Amino acid sequence: MGQLFAVEIIYRGVFQKTLAKNITRGIVLAAHYEGKPGISFGRYGDSPERNGIPAKSFAIVASDDLTLQLGMAHYEPTQVDVTVVLDDTLCKGIESWAWAGLHAVNQGVKPDGTLIVASLQEPEELLQMIHRREKPYKLGIVKAIASFSGMWIYKDDHTDVRILGAIAKAFPELMSIESVEKYINTKLKSSLKATSARTAYERFGAIEIEPGRGNAEEPFQFELLKWEEMREGATIKGQPQGGPYTDPVTGKLGGFRPARNDKFRKATTRTTRPVVNFETCTKCTLCWLNCPDGTFDVTPDGTYDANLETCCGCGICEAVCPVENCITMVNEAEFHDNNSQWLSYKKDKEGYLQWLKTTIHPIEQRSYGFRYRGQYAEQVPAALEIAKKG
Amino acid sequence: MSTFVEQKPTQNLEPFKGVKKVPFEEYFTSGHRTCEGCESAQIMRLMAKAAGPRTIVIGATGCMYVANTSYYSTSWGVPWIHTQLGAAGSSALGAAAAYRALMRKGAMKDEPINVIAFCGDGGGADMGLAAISAAMTHPDYNLLILMYDNEEYGNTDIQISGTSPYGVNTSFSTPGKVKRIMHHRWKKNVAPLIVAGHPTCKYVATISTSYPLQAMNAIRRALSIGGPTFIHCLNPCPKGWDFDPEIAYEIGNLAVNTGIWPLYEVENGALKLYGKTKQIAEGNQKRLPVQDYLLKQGRFAHFTDEDIRFFQEKVDEMWEKWLIPGVIPLRKEVEAGLLPAD
Amino acid sequence: MATLTLPVEQQKPPVEQEALITGAEAIAVACKLANVDVVTAYPIRPYDTVMQYMSQLVADGELDCEFIVAESENSQFEIVKQASTCGARTFCGSSGIGWMYAMEVLTVAPALRVPLVALVGNRALDDPGAFGVEHNDALAVRDLGWLLTWVDSGQEALDTALIAYRVAEDRRIFVPLAISCDGAFLTHSQSLVKVPSAEQVKKFLPKYDRGDLLLHPDNVISVAPQANEDWVMEIRRQNYKVTEKAVDVIREVYADFERIFGRKYGNPFFEEFMTEDADVVLFGMGTLSIPVKVAIRKLREQGKKIGFVRLRWFRPFAGKEIAKALERFSAIGVIDRDLSLGSPDLSGVVATELRSAMYTNASTRPPVLGFICGLGGREVTLPDVEKMAESVFQAAAGKAQPLTQWIGLRG
Repeated sequence: MGQLFAVEIIYRGVFQKTLAKNITRGIVLAAHYEGKPGISFGRYGDSPERNGIPAKSFAIVASDDLTLQLGMAHYEPTQVDVTVVLDDTLCKGIESWAWAGLHAVNQGVKPDGTLIVASLQEPEELLQMIHRREKPYKLGIVKAIASFSGMWIYKDDHTDVRILGAIAKAFPELMSIESVEKYINTKLKSSLKATSARTAYERFGAIEIEPGRGNAEEPFQFELLKWEEMREGATIKGQPQGGPYTDPVTGKLGGFRPARNDKFRKATTRTTRPVVNFETCTKCTLCWLNCPDGTFDVTPDGTYDANLETCCGCGICEAVCPVENCITMVNEAEFHDNNSQWLSYKKDKEGYLQWLKTTIHPIEQRSYGFRYRGQYAEQVPAALEIAKKG
Repeated sequence: MSTFVEQKPTQNLEPFKGVKKVPFEEYFTSGHRTCEGCESAQIMRLMAKAAGPRTIVIGATGCMYVANTSYYSTSWGVPWIHTQLGAAGSSALGAAAAYRALMRKGAMKDEPINVIAFCGDGGGADMGLAAISAAMTHPDYNLLILMYDNEEYGNTDIQISGTSPYGVNTSFSTPGKVKRIMHHRWKKNVAPLIVAGHPTCKYVATISTSYPLQAMNAIRRALSIGGPTFIHCLNPCPKGWDFDPEIAYEIGNLAVNTGIWPLYEVENGALKLYGKTKQIAEGNQKRLPVQDYLLKQGRFAHFTDEDIRFFQEKVDEMWEKWLIPGVIPLRKEVEAGLLPAD
Repeated sequence: MATLTLPVEQQKPPVEQEALITGAEAIAVACKLANVDVVTAYPIRPYDTVMQYMSQLVADGELDCEFIVAESENSQFEIVKQASTCGARTFCGSSGIGWMYAMEVLTVAPALRVPLVALVGNRALDDPGAFGVEHNDALAVRDLGWLLTWVDSGQEALDTALIAYRVAEDRRIFVPLAISCDGAFLTHSQSLVKVPSAEQVKKFLPKYDRGDLLLHPDNVISVAPQANEDWVMEIRRQNYKVTEKAVDVIREVYADFERIFGRKYGNPFFEEFMTEDADVVLFGMGTLSIPVKVAIRKLREQGKKIGFVRLRWFRPFAGKEIAKALERFSAIGVIDRDLSLGSPDLSGVVATELRSAMYTNASTRPPVLGFICGLGGREVTLPDVEKMAESVFQAAAGKAQPLTQWIGLRG
C-alpha cells in the first residue's frame, strides 16, 4: 500500500462554495504534477448548500491509483492530514446537514496533522473556540478576513492560492510549493497569484497543540434510533409550544420563549451576532417579527432578546431596527458563550451598558454577500494588503 | 352562491390590528436548515403564526420541505406532511375532503380545521398549476394554497421556473460567451391567472415578506372567507438572488417600490391594491427605477444598460398600458398596426 | 348512463342478496358496504365504469362520501392519499397509461403507510393507445410496496374488495393495495353475484384507525421529512417488515371472511383447477383462467393430465407455498399477459418470478416455460391454450422447448 493523503476544507456553505472548490481542485492538480493521482469532491450530504451552514469539501491524493482506490472506498475520510477552516467562527464547532449534533473542527485531523485557519486572530484566541481533544495536532493561521461571496459572482482575493501555499508548507509530502506555483502559472495564468501563494508558504508556521488544550465544552450529540424504535410512516414528533419565562430580578413569569428545535440549533451558522441595547429599545417588534428563524425571545420587559442558541446571524434584525445602535451585528469570534444578553443586562444593568460601549463597533468587512456591482473589486485590494503582510 | 354548494364553517380569524397585537406563539420555530436571511422561511413562520394551532400544513417538495424538515428534526409546531412537487392543490383537496366526510359521519369532532398547502413557484406556477386550478374550482372545500415565490427552483441549487424574471442568472441560464441572456421569458402572472380563470374562488392575494402584518392578515382572511383560496408571496432569496442576507427585507421593499411586485387582494371579485402599490397606482408615489432593485443582486450583475432598459420598459407597460395596471395585461387600446386583419 | 340492478333495500333479516351485476358494479357495491369516505374519479377506460356506478350511488343517497372528479390521475391519487392520512377510508382507480400518470403518488403511498384500495382495470400501456387487457400497468408498482391481487369473476371482485380494506387497514400492513380486474370482460359483463348485508360487513370490517399517524391538529407530528443516508435504510426496513407479515395477515383475513360470509376460498394465494392428478400445469392470472379452464376440460376428455393454477396474490408472492404446490409437476407453463422486456430469458414478469421462487423453494427443477399471450386485449383462444399445453407436455417428456414463446402472434 502506497501513500494516501487527505485534505478537508470546512467552509461556510454558498458563501465559500467556489473558494473551497478552487482549493480542492488546486490540490489535486498541483499534486498531479508530481505524478500523484487524486480526486476532489464536495460532501454530497451537504448539498444543496445553504448560506452560512457549514459544509465540507475534500481532496484525496495518493502515490498510485490502487492506493487512491482505498481513499475512494469511503464516502469521506474520517482522518485527514490537513483540515482547512476558511472562516474562523467555524472554530466554535459545526452543525451541518449531514451530521447529528455538533462536530469539532479538529475532529478529523490526524495527531501529526495540521489545522489551518483563515483568521486575523492569534492561536490563543482561536483556542478559546476550538474544542480540546485527547490527541495532539498542529495549528497554523493564514492571516485573512474570511473571504465570502455568493452563487454567481466570485470574490477573487487570492485566498484560495494562499491556502494552497500554506498547505504546501504544512504538508510538503502532499505537494511542493513549486507544484502549486506551476499549477497557478499554468492553469490560472496569474503570476500575481503565484506570488501570493509563495508568500503564504513562506509566512506559514504551525504550533503544536497538546492534548486537552482548547475549549472545554462537550459538543452536543444525539443517538440515531434503530429501525424498530422509529415511528412508522417516516413520522416524527412535532414541536411543542413555548411559554413565559422568569425575570431574574422580579422572579415573575413573563414574556415568551418559543420551544426550540434541539436537533438542529443553527447557532454555528453565524459569523456575527446581534448585540442588543435593551435601554434604547422602543419595543417596536420589528426585529422579532421579521426574523426568519423566530430567534427572538420576548422578554418579560417586552423587549426582544436574540436567543443565541439559535441565531444564525443574518443581520435582518439590525437592518429593520429603527433605533441607531440598538441592534448591532458584531463579529462572532469575539464571544465565547451563548448566554442570554437580556439576563446579563437584568442582573447588572450598568455593567452591561459599559460592556456594550466596547463591544459595539463597526465591522470593517461586514458584507458576506453582494450588495452592489463592483463591490468585490473594491474589497480585493484590502485583502491583498493582508496577504502581502502575511 | 348556488344552493347546491355546501360550505363548512371556517375559523373566524380576525385580522391582527397592528404589530403589537401579533401573538407570541410560534408554530414554526427556530432550528430549520435554511439559509441565513431566508425569506421563504419567514413566510412559513408568518403563515403558521397567522393560522394558529387548529391547522394542518401540507408541504410540497421544495426548499421549504428539504430545508425545514430533515428526518428527526422539524421546526413545525402544527401537524405537517410532505407532498409531491406538483401536488399542493390535490393534497389540500384530499385533506379537506377527508375532514368533511369524517365530521359529517360523526367519526371526528366537527370543528373548522385550517387546511393549508404550500408550494414554491416551481411547484405552483410550473408543475402543480393544473392541480391548483382544479382545487380553486371546488367551492365546497375550505383550503388555502400558499405559493412562496423565490423566482427559481431553489432547492436544486437554483434553476429557472415559470416565475423567474427576465434574463436572470441561474444554473440553467448562465450568461456565457455567446449568449448573455439565456432566459427570455417574462415572469408568469399567476395571481391574476387564478382570479380570471376561477370565478367562484373568493380570495386571491399577493403578499410580500417585507409587509409582514399585511401578509398575515391576508392569510387569516383567506382561511376565514370560505372555499378554496390562493395567495402568492414574493420572498427574496439571498442564495439564489445573490445578495447579502442582511438586505433581504430591503430587497423585498424594492420589488414593491419599483412596481415589479404589485400588492393586492381580490375578494369576491373586488380588487384592492395596498401598501406602496396603492400609492403608486393613485399617483402619490413614483415608481423607483428598476435598476435600484436589479443591481443590488448578483443574479442580474451581467445586465447591460440595454437589458435594464428592456426590463424597465416591460415594467412601465405593466403600469401604463395594462387594462388594470399591475394586474391584468389586456390592453386598454390596441396599438396602431397591431389590429387583427378584417 | 350506467344503471345499477341492485334490489331495493328490504326490511329483512341481514342476509346476502343476489344481484346481476358487472365486475365494476361489484366493486362499487363493496365500497358502499365498506362505507368509504372519499372517492376520486378520472375518466379512462375500462376501470372508469366503477366510478360511474359510484357517482350514481352518491347521487341516490346510497353512499355517503366525498366524490371528487380530479383533473388528472396524478391529482386523483394525491387526493385520496392525503385523505387517507387524515383518517378517511378511500377508493380510487385507473387503467393503463392513466395509472402511470399517477406514478409519483403510487410510489410514495407505501412509504407513507396509507392503506389505499385501488381498482386497476388492466389495460395495455400506450404507445400505441390500446384499450385491451395487459397486466403491465398494475405490475409496474410491484417493487414499491403495494399489495397486488388479480380477480377473475364478479363475485371474487366484490369479496376481494372487502378483503382488501380489511388487509390494507390492518395495522401490521397499512400499505396500499391494488385489485386488478381485466378490462372489458370482467368489468363490463354481468353475472350473478351474492351481495353481503351491511351487518355482515360490519362484523368483518372494523373502522379505519390511523392511530398516532393521523394528521390532525390534536396530534402534532411531522410526516416524511427529508431524510439523509443516516435514516433511509431504517425507514425502508419498516416497509420490509410489512412484506414479512403480509402472507400471515392475508391468511387470517380469508379465514375470517369464510367464517362470517360462509364463502370458501381455500388457499388465498392461488386457485387450483384439476391439479390433483395432473402431470403438468399451466399458471397465470386474471380472466384468461376461463378459456384455460375450458381448454383443460377438453384436454382432460382426451385423457391428457393437465391442470391450471391461477395466481390471486402477486404481492406478496407466496413463493414457498407456490413452489411446494408446483414442484410435483413434470413441467409448468406460465402464461404472461405482460412483457418484461430485457428480462432473463426474455420471459414475462410472472414466469420470471415463478422461476425465482422455484429455484429457492422447490425440491425439484421442472422446466418452467414462459408464454407471452393475449397482449393488448387479444383473445386467449382455446387453440392457443392447446398449443401451450402441447409445448408443456413436450417439455415434460424431456424434449427441449424455448424458454419464451409468443402465442397467437401473426408471423
